[in-house]
Amino acid sequence: MLLFRSEEDIEAWCAQRQITPGAVFDLARLWSLATAWYDDRLNSAWRRRTIPERQAILDAAGLTGSFWSLTAS
Amino acid sequence: MEIPSQYPVYDCPHVNTDPVGRTSDIRDSEIRLWIYHHFVETGRAPSPVEIAARFQLTPGEVENRLRRLQDEADALVLLPGSPYIWMAEPFSAVPTSFIVRSGTRAWWANCIWDALAILALVGTDGSVSTACPHSGQPLVVSATRRGLEEAQGIVHFAVPAREWWRSIGFT
Repeated sequence: MLLFRSEEDIEAWCAQRQITPGAVFDLARLWSLATAWYDDRLNSAWRRRTIPERQAILDAAGLTGSFWSLTAS
Repeated sequence: MEIPSQYPVYDCPHVNTDPVGRTSDIRDSEIRLWIYHHFVETGRAPSPVEIAARFQLTPGEVENRLRRLQDEADALVLLPGSPYIWMAEPFSAVPTSFIVRSGTRAWWANCIWDALAILALVGTDGSVSTACPHSGQPLVVSATRRGLEEAQGIVHFAVPAREWWRSIGFT
């Protein structure tokens, strides 16, 4: 996940690499996602979250749809 | 692209490196947690030798533990073909384009997501320095315990969520 100056920069960067643009959103949403996703890493009882648990964090951050599905084929 | 004017400063060696004594009872989870505290306090991953000294393990035992933490617990990633830690998300043991700073401490992050996560995990005021991969313009994101303060830039996820772990180095 990279940070760009603008959406125009994302489009140009993807075009140069012949990559289909993925998902774009602001830092406020990423902050919410990052804090929830990693909030257990310094816990002694940490374990890898299950896929449904991870999906729930994405959902709570408003990241829904096929791009954000951890199981869609 | 912004060239970091200052590499991470490892002047907070508050992580406890004293040997812990009896070894057979040491759980992988204790080693994992100590690795994380080492990252938090020093900005870098402990080497296998440092882990061996802390937990009084042989080099072979350390490598076995680290491989188990990677392969079974999914707790960290080793540099391919080596016993050295590459990343313990959100921390990177190798230099990246995302430098996180708080006071005199600094860390490398694997991506902008992980950079914000480090600030949240450490729980202090700090900033992330990176640069737009297309324009090269320096971008800075700062945060306090209350949340984001300065927020320059827009986030791009190139890879769908289901493929994030297919190539851990590119998402």
